[in-house]
Amino acid sequence: MTDEKTLNKNPAKHGSVLVLGGGISGIQSALDLADAGFKVYLVEKQPSIGGTMPQLDKTFPTNDCAMCILAPKLVATGRHPNIELITYSDLKKIQGEPGDFTVTINKKARSVDETLCNGCGLCVENCLVRFKPQKPEKHDAKKDLAKDDLKTVDDIINTCGRSPDALIPVLQAVNEQYNHLPKNILKYVSQELEVPLSQTYHVATFYTSFSLKPRGKHLIKVCMGTACHVRGSPRVLDEIKRHLKIEPGETTDDGMFTLETVNCLGACALGPVVVVDDTYHPVSSSKVDDFLKKIRKEEG
Amino acid sequence: MLRSIDDFDTLQKEIIRKRDPGRKLITICNGTGCNALKGKEITKLLTDELKKQGITDVTVLATGCHGFCEQGPIMVIRPSGIFYKGVKPDHVERIISETIQKGTVINELLYVDPRSGKPLVYEKDIPFYANQKRILFGYNEYIDPTSIEDYISIGGYKALAHVLREKIQPLKIIEIITASGLRGRGGAGFPTGKKWESAYTAKSKDSAKYVICNADEGDPGAYANRSLLEGNPHSVLEGMIIGAYAVGARHGYIYVRTEYPLAVKYFGIAVQRARETGLLGENILGSGFSFDVKIAQGGGAFVCGESTALMASIEGKPGEPRVKHIHTTTSGLWDRPTVLNNVETWANVPLIINNGVDWYRNIGTEGSKGTKIFSLVGKINNTGLVEVPMGITLRDVIFDIGGGIKQGKKFKAIQIGGPSGGCIPEEKIDLPIDYDSLTDAGAMMGSGGMIVMDENTCMVDVAKYFVNFLMNESCGKCTPCREGLVQMNGILTEITEGRGKKEHIDLLEELSEVVKTASLCQLGATAPNPILTTLRYFRDEYEAHITDKKCPAHVCKPLITFRVDPTKCTGCQLCAKRCPVKAVSGAPKQAHTIDQKMCIKCGICYDSCKFDALEVQ
Repeated sequence: MTDEKTLNKNPAKHGSVLVLGGGISGIQSALDLADAGFKVYLVEKQPSIGGTMPQLDKTFPTNDCAMCILAPKLVATGRHPNIELITYSDLKKIQGEPGDFTVTINKKARSVDETLCNGCGLCVENCLVRFKPQKPEKHDAKKDLAKDDLKTVDDIINTCGRSPDALIPVLQAVNEQYNHLPKNILKYVSQELEVPLSQTYHVATFYTSFSLKPRGKHLIKVCMGTACHVRGSPRVLDEIKRHLKIEPGETTDDGMFTLETVNCLGACALGPVVVVDDTYHPVSSSKVDDFLKKIRKEEG
Repeated sequence: MLRSIDDFDTLQKEIIRKRDPGRKLITICNGTGCNALKGKEITKLLTDELKKQGITDVTVLATGCHGFCEQGPIMVIRPSGIFYKGVKPDHVERIISETIQKGTVINELLYVDPRSGKPLVYEKDIPFYANQKRILFGYNEYIDPTSIEDYISIGGYKALAHVLREKIQPLKIIEIITASGLRGRGGAGFPTGKKWESAYTAKSKDSAKYVICNADEGDPGAYANRSLLEGNPHSVLEGMIIGAYAVGARHGYIYVRTEYPLAVKYFGIAVQRARETGLLGENILGSGFSFDVKIAQGGGAFVCGESTALMASIEGKPGEPRVKHIHTTTSGLWDRPTVLNNVETWANVPLIINNGVDWYRNIGTEGSKGTKIFSLVGKINNTGLVEVPMGITLRDVIFDIGGGIKQGKKFKAIQIGGPSGGCIPEEKIDLPIDYDSLTDAGAMMGSGGMIVMDENTCMVDVAKYFVNFLMNESCGKCTPCREGLVQMNGILTEITEGRGKKEHIDLLEELSEVVKTASLCQLGATAPNPILTTLRYFRDEYEAHITDKKCPAHVCKPLITFRVDPTKCTGCQLCAKRCPVKAVSGAPKQAHTIDQKMCIKCGICYDSCKFDALEVQ
């Protein structure tokens, strides 16, 4: 949109604007103002503009990649003849009134001639000081575990192996033992198997058989396989949901039942099938009431 | 522990000599399906009852799945072959005292042929079995899956011993497999011999190569692999050992889904026994060839059935597929050449070695050789696993073996190949089943799930079901699959909830094309198949939803209403009692009515009515 018409040949006529902060909102404001013909000073305290957005993966609400939105705007800001970037600078003082401000800016020493620099980045790569690896303070995840838990988890790790490829079997065993994956154990497993915590969480959230929340005493799994689906499993699920007042993946307030759905258990002849704690039950929607009562009764 | 091939021959002869072919056996199915109906309990009761009645010459054999799951728990008495279905714990005493002691047949336990209405005594006469060709699956009925002796007694590990005794060159084995025409049973149908050959020729940076058995049978409605692993795990293991010998692998993995606990257990026992016997591990039968297998369990992610995602999962990573410019046979697990085959493919290998290429090539069609196990499920009379030669027509499977549609309803379509497959309509019922004909019809072999649908199945709902399934199972790595499926699911929801617009159909087709072309792995590339085939064969149903706002099959809740037929209603009050929102009212012995404002369309009244008085519009 920055064609010749919108460009202000003589910005002084329109006055000028100072935008403080070079994040996405600052950049967008600067671009809009500049397109409208104002001379814009964009002040940013970091050495470069962009703010937090480049660090994000996806953005609400469209789930688009953040850099895909931001990068063109960064380039446009840098090239816009009406925008003057003042980076690595702090605002010291504002004087005056609306329409007539005088702003004092403290520009920190960059020690690089900005008029000559073409942004190749070679100086950054070659700097020995900045690239010293910064080690975070070491925290032993062992300390966060109770003695019994430590023994249980150590036993599991010793059986499955103390290497990154044993991550899934270890998590499976932990999940079975504790009915979910407690946070402190995840951290310990991550430390012991030398897998980054981020990757451990990636695995723990990727596979549906893992749960980060404690599960109820009884696990009810409703088969949503195709054979069960055409035989009416959605209606069975609706009934169970209505009775327990929970959605799949949730646990009842009394901690008695957790409801989950599963994609085919291979007991298609019995469909619709509901599995309660590894016992298979053929259940139709009109029998759900009796069925749940029976389990409650057994519980006493 | 066997140290040489001669040791194995001696052991085999010894086992066969000890077995009396005429010994009295009660075989009872202990597969997952029959166990859910107390199969295990009955097995224990049988043993106790035999002891109680002082019978010592009869053995109780708890086997894997027999395949006829609809009639479970299933019992076959040998050598006579008397077949009992739906056995309950109460029947045990009578079975022993009448059938075993006196030889009298208990009529109420016999299978009644729905066509002739006659009870059938012997297993071999039952059409479900008589029309199959059970070269892989048939052994399940004769062996205890936890016993290696049972497997050896039916000729197990003979193929392995033959390969090692004759010192057959790896390339020669690959040649045999190629010549047999065996194609991957996982669904895509890649020639197995060709796969092995490329792994054989591929260079590994440290000479390590792997073989993997893919038992991540994620397709809903398919459970053939599970039953093979539960019923005859050694046959799969033997296939893997031969495959490893052929491609030069020392280590193997089997990746089983976590929803199959029994399969994991039985395969684990099989590996243990084989190791103890010297058929697995270091220096197998003194031949100098070493091979061992590890079991890896899945975590409930459908995408892990895809080869590269499966390998990532074994490596302890999230199961996300990668682009396959480089095939896994060149760089697979831990970046080494890897052969990955389906359970059923591996189980075919010993059969081909034992019986020869010509025998195998005689079964099936020109392009697809051998048999295939299908799980025949849905609205069919004989739900179960059927093994048929390639090239058999759908009609034979559905009506001869499957016994037709439940409650005499009209056949509408059959969905083949799981979520990535397609729906084949009634007019194509004479289609011969093989890899190529199914692909032409818009479906695919997949892992062999066949879901039969009758007039009460809504095809738009089915398409929505599969898209919803795949949307939840998409790993989220690539955009077309992640975003496209969400959009398609949204459109299908609009249609099934009565907000469909005419342009939706075109939009669905356009989106399908994009997802199909641009997705990274086969999950995305085949995801639109259910939509495309239902649009191809059942466009009128989509149109009925969109223009008339009606669901012809009476499935889509917002488009249906429940009514009581006053002429049929006896006023039994069962539906009124069961109705969760008290929308049904009426005095005893008088016709009831449904308050449409209160009705949540849960269908419980419809399910409960014993007089067929409820109708859906």
